Amino acid sequence: MRSRVAAQRLIDWGFTKVYNLIGGIKAWGKEVAVGTEETGLHLFTGVESSKEAVIIGFGLEMGLHNFYIAMQSKVSLESTRTLFGKLADIEILHQQRLVALYREITSTAISITDFSETIVEPAMEGGLTTEEYLQLYKIDLNSELEVLGLALAIEAQALDLYLRAAERSDKSETRQVLFQIAEEERSHIAKLSRYIDRQQDLT
Amino acid sequence: MKWLQLFTPISSVTWEEAHKIVDQTPGREVVFLDVRQPKEYARGHLPGAKLVPLGELEKRLEELEKNKPIVIY
Repeated sequence: MRSRVAAQRLIDWGFTKVYNLIGGIKAWGKEVAVGTEETGLHLFTGVESSKEAVIIGFGLEMGLHNFYIAMQSKVSLESTRTLFGKLADIEILHQQRLVALYREITSTAISITDFSETIVEPAMEGGLTTEEYLQLYKIDLNSELEVLGLALAIEAQALDLYLRAAERSDKSETRQVLFQIAEEERSHIAKLSRYIDRQQDLT
Repeated sequence: MKWLQLFTPISSVTWEEAHKIVDQTPGREVVFLDVRQPKEYARGHLPGAKLVPLGELEKRLEELEKNKPIVIY
């Protein structure tokens, strides 16, 4: 999962011959099936406008929040549960900041609930639920490391989205907010990475 | 709540296919890139694999060559 995100980012940065190894190190020396990892995925074609970036960003934050909340009940370590709770809270703050930005861009006074239900939810139509996502990537929920690895991959994906959206944004306020959120996602990645390191020390 | 499809299609290969890529590359100059955390790497990795944890990828780009094949795990 992390390798997939790394491969995608390298391609975005202009690398030409990048391959993602199916199954990672665990598949070393074993027979593995070909090509199933892409099934059902369609191209996500960048962000066209500030407004769209905010809508997609909000959807991503809802997804991240739901992911952390859902995982809280599945992980066994108390420290992981606490970490996921903290990260989930920060994603809520991001949602609030994004809806404030949306109000500014569109000069409307839309409530966070209306924004989420009438604008963001329809834009997420056809996406996958958190459960479906987990099934697609065959994450072993009994493995704390795999869950943490997926969280890291999703945060890296969010960082990538915000940075690309910020660069394309024509308004400086929008760019600033998106860069700020991107920096926080970057700190989440650092936090998750350090946490994985500590867990590895303990086991 | 639904997720958007956030992941763009990329070339996925099996270990067997990765070794074919090595055989077909002049000088066998293929980089195997390990993007896990250092301690995961320490517990077992492909001999000769280069370690760049996912969180460090962006600031360590200059360590990688744009036109050489890179196989990531």
